[in-house]
Amino acid sequence: MLIMVDSKYSNIVLGYNDELIWKHLKHLCLQTVTSEQIEHLHRRFKQLSGDQPTIRKEHFDNIPDLEFNPIRSKIVHAFFDKRNLRQESDGLADEINFEDFLTIMSYFRPIEMNMNEEQLDHFRKEKLKFLFHMYDSDHDGKITLQEYRNVVEELLSGNPHLEKESARSIADGAMMEAASICVGQMEPDQVYEGITFEDFLKMWQGIDIETKMHVRFLNMETIAQCH
Amino acid sequence: MPRIEVSHKCCPSLELRCLPLLGIYNLESSLKGFHLYHKLPSVVPESCLLILVGLLLGGIIFGAEEKSPPAMKSDVFFLYLLPPIVLDAGYFMPTRLFFENFGTIILYAVVGTLWNAIGIGVSLFGICQIQVFGLTDITLLQCLLFGSLISAVDPVAVLAVFENIHVNEQLYILVFGESLLNDAVTVVLYNLFKSFCQMRTIETIDVFAGIAKFFVVGIGGVLIGILLGFVAAFTTRFTHKIRVIEPLFVFLYSYLSYITAEMFHLSGIMAITACAMTMNKYVEENVSQKSFTTIKYFMKMLSSVSETLIFIFMGVSTVGKNHEWNWAFVCFTLLFCLIWRALGVFVLTQIINMFRTIPLTFKDQFIIAYGGLRGAICFSLVFLLPAAVFPRKKLFITSVIVVIFFTVFIQGITIRPLVEFLDVKRSNKKQPVVSEEIYNRFFDHMKAGIEDVCGHWGHNFWRDKFIKFDKKYIRRLLIRENQPKSSIVSLYKKLEIKHAIEMAESGMISTVPSLASLTDYRELKVKVKPLSSAEMENMRDILTKNLYQIRQRTLSYNRHSLTADASEKQAKEILIRRRHSLRESIRKSHSLSRERPASANTTRYLSLPKNTKLPERLRIRNKATFRVSDSSDSDTDAATTVLNLKPRPGKKMRDPKQKQRKPQQQFRMEWRNEVDRDCDGKGDHREAANQALTSSWFRQPLLSRPRFGTLSEEDLTKDDGSTRPMPPPRLGRQASEPERHRSKSENQPY
Repeated sequence: MLIMVDSKYSNIVLGYNDELIWKHLKHLCLQTVTSEQIEHLHRRFKQLSGDQPTIRKEHFDNIPDLEFNPIRSKIVHAFFDKRNLRQESDGLADEINFEDFLTIMSYFRPIEMNMNEEQLDHFRKEKLKFLFHMYDSDHDGKITLQEYRNVVEELLSGNPHLEKESARSIADGAMMEAASICVGQMEPDQVYEGITFEDFLKMWQGIDIETKMHVRFLNMETIAQCH
Repeated sequence: MPRIEVSHKCCPSLELRCLPLLGIYNLESSLKGFHLYHKLPSVVPESCLLILVGLLLGGIIFGAEEKSPPAMKSDVFFLYLLPPIVLDAGYFMPTRLFFENFGTIILYAVVGTLWNAIGIGVSLFGICQIQVFGLTDITLLQCLLFGSLISAVDPVAVLAVFENIHVNEQLYILVFGESLLNDAVTVVLYNLFKSFCQMRTIETIDVFAGIAKFFVVGIGGVLIGILLGFVAAFTTRFTHKIRVIEPLFVFLYSYLSYITAEMFHLSGIMAITACAMTMNKYVEENVSQKSFTTIKYFMKMLSSVSETLIFIFMGVSTVGKNHEWNWAFVCFTLLFCLIWRALGVFVLTQIINMFRTIPLTFKDQFIIAYGGLRGAICFSLVFLLPAAVFPRKKLFITSVIVVIFFTVFIQGITIRPLVEFLDVKRSNKKQPVVSEEIYNRFFDHMKAGIEDVCGHWGHNFWRDKFIKFDKKYIRRLLIRENQPKSSIVSLYKKLEIKHAIEMAESGMISTVPSLASLTDYRELKVKVKPLSSAEMENMRDILTKNLYQIRQRTLSYNRHSLTADASEKQAKEILIRRRHSLRESIRKSHSLSRERPASANTTRYLSLPKNTKLPERLRIRNKATFRVSDSSDSDTDAATTVLNLKPRPGKKMRDPKQKQRKPQQQFRMEWRNEVDRDCDGKGDHREAANQALTSSWFRQPLLSRPRFGTLSEEDLTKDDGSTRPMPPPRLGRQASEPERHRSKSENQPY
């Protein structure tokens, strides 16, 4: 894959009709992304990166609307998270190219009618893993109380009237719920380390994430581009 | 012309008028008794039974009088019976889901109804042309008019049937939203064709005028509703001195919007729906808790009564001499209604699935088509037909009645088994969980962020923009103390109480005593003075003034399920009991020497390192928002209570009679006695009160309490004020158990 990157990227710049590119992109499980969507995303990528082949974290500052998003840092972080980029290593990448960008976007593709159970399950797990990585910022495979608190604080950061204490209490309460769902009854001396991915899956069982976690990619020509 | 013009039937004499009324009231009251028999509403929807009752009553009157019983006058229906139902539905509509599916709903409502109307009309006309049936005198326009009035899906009937079968919310909102929004189309078509029938010639300009009229009617209705909703919200901004009349404004303005819209020949239903949805958003924040409860209950009561009356009247009006039977017309009407509805839904779904991210499956389509019930609106509309223009009016009445009865009875009864058979996704009414709220919020932000990154103005983008605009301008204008309330926080507070209750309950009821604890318990022989009744009265009074005020979000749209309040009430009651026991045990605890929980090695708290004490949190407590004003025996800071419900393996004071429900789990709870909603500026009161609390601790912990009551302002949202049924003997028993509060058994939060 690595070998193909550079040549493939230059191919993308030129055009999308190359079979090899399609095969390669499909290998990234991007079956449902059409060519217009890829084109649009590529345009956007170029816009963000200033015509560079890669994007760095600083480039995300150019998106004005993202400034108001309370979990902005986590979103940006998610783009560079190597686990999301399906790379074997850990940690954060410094920069991502278009292929990685598409990889991240593929987590948000909508559900398809003709998916069978196994595909659906895999689909769901992929999305949940993405979410999990967003919560688990220190990459240790567990969402600890501190990380959870961090998340809640960020979420409630837009509200100036709430104090940190409240956020912490809420996080604690939520963690309690998680503990009760995942571990059930706990011994008095037991320590609940953190939410592992399996526990996370359990918690999300009732919620059909595959229908919720998607971004509409439709009618790209008519959608205005925001700068 | 508005729908409320009607030719009044001459009123029968006084006795006769009383008879049906009496009959109706008796029957209605006895009918509610059938709710006690649980099986019945699950098999047969209430609407069917009500119609049957109405038929019975009509039969009695007819038999007694040999004259048609008083039919439901259309103006009564449209002016008095219909608005409460639509108001109730609109107020409790899940707006978020509604707007997410808005495109689909609009498509079904507008295009679907048009399709149905024209299809039924034209095909009926085709049938009428066949000589054999004897219907050749019915013109095309009459058929079209008939088609327009019978194609409208009825919100009353849909509500009545769907509320029992609990399909998933999306499906429900599609059918129900369609039934609400198609009113605009119905009004326009009905009036259009009626005026066409009475005109000599029809030009194309008239048709175009009709189409334009549709937009005017629909959008005008919505605008009136929103405008009056804003006025209502604005008015309630200033009503904090006169809380009692707040509910009045809600009802007044919504009814006003309906009447205004009808007066201008716009769609009244859409107006009242828009008004209700607007009011729900803003008024809810302004009114007091009591007003809110009043509004909710009164609305539900009104709509319940209206619905009952409507169905009974329909039954009564059926009996009589208003009928003309023609096999062909009636049967074909029914057939065409079903066929065109199914076709319409199917075709439209194919179109809309191209635009939806989550396509509608075949099951969904089937339920949508099957759930297209007709009801009282077409019933009343057919009575409004001018007899002069419609010589075959009785025929129309008969066929409308047959269609309505078929949909309500057959479709209403069979939809439940069908839903189960098709395994349609049901609504899972789970308990609200804080983490879920957090996740949802996280989700929204994430999706909005991703959309920003892609440069795509999607749903979430617009929603975000609207929320920002709303926060910046509208809320400032309409809402009194513009405190941005996070839904996470309010949900959390609500759940904290529930935690407390459940733990309290389980603490009172259950634990498994270990051997060690049993021996400990027997060692302690404490004599406790039982609480005098005066003291308990005192406690009760003070507590009822100072309990939590958690506003329930208007979640439910089911008329018969207001269960959330029951649990809230129960929650508060148990909270009171809990506090009593707390206080008692605190008093006692200081007469004993107890081990302080300084042995931090026995405490665990999630993933914090072993020996972390958390006293610093307690110290910060005075400034913190989340505080407990109750007394506690925390080792460091007595000004706050942290219910350190830590199980101590050695010393468990349990009532040996109690059985364990669940093993203990350490649990730490802080909560705040939310005396008033404002966070700012009131901290001083609480601090002062807390100081007072700590100083005069043991003897009379309650003495300081009144300070809360007096310090708080008038606009304190008070509790319902109903006396709580306190079980004194129980308290007495608790009082005799030492040291119960701390080491209660903790069960899981859920």
